[in-house]
Amino acid sequence: MQKMGQFLELLDRVATADDLTLAMVEICALLGFQHFALTHHVDLVRVSAPAIRLHNYPAEWAAFYDEQGLGVSDPVHRASHLTGKGFRWSRIGAMIPLTAFDRRMLDLGRAQGIGDGFTVPANVPGEARGSCSFANATDLPLPEAMLLAAQLADTFDFESARRLWSVRTPHTGKCKPLTDRQRDCVLWAARGKGDWEVSRILNLSEETVAGHIKQACERYGVNKRTSLIIRTLFDGTPTFSDILRR
Amino acid sequence: MLHVMRSGARSIPDEVMRAMFAARKEVFVDLLKWEVPVLAGAYEVDQFDDPHAHYIVLADRDGGHLGSARLLPTMRAHILDSLYPQLCEDTPPRGPDIFEVTRFCLDRSLSARERRQVRDTLVAALVEHALANAITGYSAIAEIGWLQQILAFGWRCRPLGLPRTIDGKMLGALGIRIDADTPRLLAEAGITALSDLVEGDRRVAA
Repeated sequence: MQKMGQFLELLDRVATADDLTLAMVEICALLGFQHFALTHHVDLVRVSAPAIRLHNYPAEWAAFYDEQGLGVSDPVHRASHLTGKGFRWSRIGAMIPLTAFDRRMLDLGRAQGIGDGFTVPANVPGEARGSCSFANATDLPLPEAMLLAAQLADTFDFESARRLWSVRTPHTGKCKPLTDRQRDCVLWAARGKGDWEVSRILNLSEETVAGHIKQACERYGVNKRTSLIIRTLFDGTPTFSDILRR
Repeated sequence: MLHVMRSGARSIPDEVMRAMFAARKEVFVDLLKWEVPVLAGAYEVDQFDDPHAHYIVLADRDGGHLGSARLLPTMRAHILDSLYPQLCEDTPPRGPDIFEVTRFCLDRSLSARERRQVRDTLVAALVEHALANAITGYSAIAEIGWLQQILAFGWRCRPLGLPRTIDGKMLGALGIRIDADTPRLLAEAGITALSDLVEGDRRVAA
């Protein structure tokens, strides 16, 4: 824990991605892991929003991972959406249903020399979810006694990365919030209602509803209402419970 | 409207306090299922709600509860040293200028956007209260999922020990350092008080 304190001091001073990578290598060694990966779960190739990824996995594995667009479908990432606590990869099968492709991917990782790992989900409301993982080579077991320390280190690492990449909550960002009427229309659209139905519910004309949805799309810079609904859910404009509540 | 109460200077109207204790019951007992005492089936009040506790309460114009936090002096018995000393590697932080933040409570009736505004305003108020009262540090216990959010407020945090699983929940203890630079750190992280919430008939105990 004292060494951990020194490590956290180090994190405060990191000014570049390289500094953070070096600090991560150091904490890996301190805790008894060989690999680390810190990421925001967006498809890094296709999305232009600021995203975070640092790792020291073997280069071939990283290249394969990117080619397959695994940032979104990675079972480790999917599992991390279900819990706030760290989990070991060997437990993923019990947390989420694994597809044939997931199993193949986990096998490929092992073939590249990556064995069991420990992932800590990082969730700051209104931002893409992320996680921080530590992993060991196939022949090296996870350092049991260090998992709690890893939990803590990952949490602080992720915050350090957020600060470095200046990830900000959307309400301070450039997207103008929806008007009350726009939000009502989006809410009913998210509940599966078409423009005509929404117009009856809210006592508006169908054209007005279509106009509100169109303007809401413009505010978020998207073209489709499906994208609009996802984006508004993401920043909490309506919440899942708003949509599911009847 | 922001209400602040320090020990020996009771200035928060009774109805605001009552609404806060009722909101705490809704959040900590009904929602989070904490096993803490409930008074008259409606109010969550425990042994630390005594005249030594400070309270910061955000209420709407009619006194309705929006958000609140309780600060316990660490020179007296508080939660970290009485109930969870195992979360600290050394002895829990203790000093006349250190308070423990407890019962950080956002009203259940708030929408997602309002929650964030009330949360940010409450965090900014905690820092302002510390600076106005020569408090240099806060300690706090948080469930692990909350911890990432607390760090994301931008202030200087240190873990006080390794997290532990207690009654099925993973908890960690944090020390937060407050100084003249803290408001800038919060602002950089996007945490600012919503002026609508703090303006008006403002009561700050002398």
